[in-house]
Amino acid sequence: MTTIEARAVPTAVPRRGRLDGLWSALAPRATVLRVLAGVLTIIGTYLPWATFVLNEGPYPDKATLNFFVDPLGVTGFRLHLLVIGIAMIVVALLGLPAAGRIIRGLGWGTIAVAVINGLYILVQGGGFGAVTASDGAVAFGAVVALVGGLVAVLGGTAGGLGAKPELTWRLPWWAEWLILLVVFAIVLFLVAGVLTSGGQGGVVNPYAGAVFLSVLGALGGAISALSASGLLTWVSAVSERHRIFSVVVLLVVALLLPLTSAGTEYWMTVAANIGVYAATAIGLNIVVGLAGLLDLGYVAFLGIGAFVAANLSGAAASEIGIELPFPLVMIISAVVAGIFGAIVGSPTLRVRGDYLAIVTLAFGEIFVRSAQNNIGGLTGGANAIPNIPAVSAFGQSFAAPLTIGAVKLPSGVLYYVLIVLLVAAVMLVFANLKNSRLGRAWIAIREDEDAARAMGIRTGPVKILAFMIGATLAGLAGAFFAHKTGVVAYDSFQFIQSVTLLASVILGGMGTIPGAVLGASILFVLPEKLREFADYRLLIFGLALVVIMRFRPQGLIPDAHRRAELAPDAEDETPVVDVTT
Amino acid sequence: MLSTLLSQIVNGLVLGSLIGLIALGYTMVYGIVQLINFAHGEIFMVGAYGGLAMFTYLLPTALKNHWYFALPILLIVGAAVSVLVAVAMERLAYRPLRGAPRLAPLITALGVSVALQEAVRVFYPNATAAVPFPTIFVPGTLIIPIGDGIPIKYSAILLVVVALALAYALNTFVERSRMGRAMRATAQDPDVARLMGVDPDRVIVLTFVLGGALAGVGGILYGGLYNTINIDMGFQNGIFAFTAAVLGGIGNIRGAVVGGLAIGLVKALGGQYLPGGTAYDYVWIFVVLIVVLVFRPQGFFGETERVRA
Repeated sequence: MTTIEARAVPTAVPRRGRLDGLWSALAPRATVLRVLAGVLTIIGTYLPWATFVLNEGPYPDKATLNFFVDPLGVTGFRLHLLVIGIAMIVVALLGLPAAGRIIRGLGWGTIAVAVINGLYILVQGGGFGAVTASDGAVAFGAVVALVGGLVAVLGGTAGGLGAKPELTWRLPWWAEWLILLVVFAIVLFLVAGVLTSGGQGGVVNPYAGAVFLSVLGALGGAISALSASGLLTWVSAVSERHRIFSVVVLLVVALLLPLTSAGTEYWMTVAANIGVYAATAIGLNIVVGLAGLLDLGYVAFLGIGAFVAANLSGAAASEIGIELPFPLVMIISAVVAGIFGAIVGSPTLRVRGDYLAIVTLAFGEIFVRSAQNNIGGLTGGANAIPNIPAVSAFGQSFAAPLTIGAVKLPSGVLYYVLIVLLVAAVMLVFANLKNSRLGRAWIAIREDEDAARAMGIRTGPVKILAFMIGATLAGLAGAFFAHKTGVVAYDSFQFIQSVTLLASVILGGMGTIPGAVLGASILFVLPEKLREFADYRLLIFGLALVVIMRFRPQGLIPDAHRRAELAPDAEDETPVVDVTT
Repeated sequence: MLSTLLSQIVNGLVLGSLIGLIALGYTMVYGIVQLINFAHGEIFMVGAYGGLAMFTYLLPTALKNHWYFALPILLIVGAAVSVLVAVAMERLAYRPLRGAPRLAPLITALGVSVALQEAVRVFYPNATAAVPFPTIFVPGTLIIPIGDGIPIKYSAILLVVVALALAYALNTFVERSRMGRAMRATAQDPDVARLMGVDPDRVIVLTFVLGGALAGVGGILYGGLYNTINIDMGFQNGIFAFTAAVLGGIGNIRGAVVGGLAIGLVKALGGQYLPGGTAYDYVWIFVVLIVVLVFRPQGFFGETERVRA
């Protein structure tokens, strides 16, 4: 199996298929269609979106607003649409390279925004009257914007998508540093903006989910347009040239998040929770993404770390009841989790493939059952271990608000800083391991275990090491988790959590760092925002797993290398024997 | 003492027949497509809820009180619901992934399992907690006069008899019938089977139909035995059944039944005699699972392990 990076050769050939006739018919009018799409999107922006004020209070951004009332009063999703519409017209008229591709991306963004907001108003308003006409009031904003988006996709595709340009600009180093600084600053504000968009989900704020999804849709459109223009590839190439600089700036940017609009106690807690699962997901990524060993009981290691930390925290309910300094506790938790990792990993010497997945599942279940029965008095059973004291350093409790000079920071900031550093450390471990001799051995095993063994890799110890290191990272995160939440209970470590972690690795993209972080963020932010769908959360989640496996098994940010386990690239990896079709 | 032991053995064999019935579905699917159909436990659960819905909302009250009317209807409806769900699952989730790398179908199966369980929880009335299940057979308990007496519910006897009869019927079908021979051929070598004129798609659908029907019947019998069903029953018993299938040698029909009985005995006797009592009886099953997979992955009756990626 070759791991040479096959750069997908961009082709300008229009896609072949049932729609061939349609595309060639539309091709001469492509520019007109593209401009029309922009105009429609802008018109949609300024039409009212709801015929009446919804029961739960006015839908954000003045959904019943009419252009004549307040031409400059567009905010929120309407502002996004306005920007997208203008961008469509500009791109279409300037004739940028890959204009079709860019406009198609923007079109999908428009469709997403129109569908999300339109559906929300439709459902909450109780019928099509809410988004069309009712009682003499008309509100065709959603419909027109949706048509605009569809026309954009049509027009973009019809005129030929055009090759994705490869930008090769080289600038002096200081200019490139400056660009990177600006880009990362924008990323910071985007992250803060997306995180806080719609506010905290819940009964008080019924629109959180819709607003959040709408922002995600608009952002998705913008990102796909940027990616189509080749700018994203260029920026990532630039940051690759200044690797260390980028890493440092990114770390600083992450630490600055509390100073943005996300700097409240609630968002700091959300961010810290994301951090815990991101660190754990990166650990899992070593086992699944690099070594290709499916682990269905991985959350047990997080649990082991958490229970060890809880027992060493001096909490009244803990069996051991001694209090050790937090850094020492972290190390002990990590080591204990690592030892269990080696135990769970030892069957890999004899068991392969999906049988191994079942073995890890069995270990995970044994852990949960034992913790539930308060084994050895160490886990508190159904009573959990409550009242774990907060971490404190230099007399400052991590749970308390912090004031530095004139800057007042919300409580939870120190935990946030700690988890950012922890995740950064975990990423560092992952990145270095991936490019090390060990990492290459893992990838070789993932691609073909027998071949790896033939090449002289001692597959047994190497596989156990994967489990051990992955578990160690999860144990670290567990120690943090115990102190941050203050309560450790067995039901935080059930099978469904293992599946969620696995899903975040798969959704983000196996074997990559940003993938695991992105996946963990999405899977743990969405439930916070979509409280009104809390009942359907796992149902949607299960269906999403099926859909991802069907349509994008390589995840959102795929690894550059070929993956034998999950990503069949139709072009260059047809199964040798296709048994059944 | 003796009667405790004997009644635990009886308990174990009753649970074991049920597990064996579910394990048949696992073992057949694995034998044909080498897929651990993780969602098979949920098929069992869906069958129980389907039958219950029929009983509660559709069955005329006149028929409800006569088990000899209600029971056959319930069994058929439970099996039908399970078959429908199993076939839909195969068609929509698994078939598009044939030929995909190995992990993809397994993760899909996890997703299907979560989705089915949640769908029932969200959409079935009051399914967030355990739901009462009607008595569908002669109520009461038979006491075998040994020692202090060994109680067996009549519905437990029904479960054992039906499970063993169905397993026997399935075995006969697979060994004697034309389609059964096609199934065995596909399991042995799909390519050669196709050259011999076997349509693999038909065989696979048939496998899911048979497994689904057995699981659906199992779900109804389970409900009748315990008089309560919940959405977790699929996951738990599914794992037990998978263990049983592996223990008996996956792909082997007799092995699945023997494995099921063995797992039932481990749970009943382990809960009675091993340290920790019933709180740890699950743990012993998982320990058995790990030990078998590590030391004898081909199970009791399996052939030597195939070379797998």
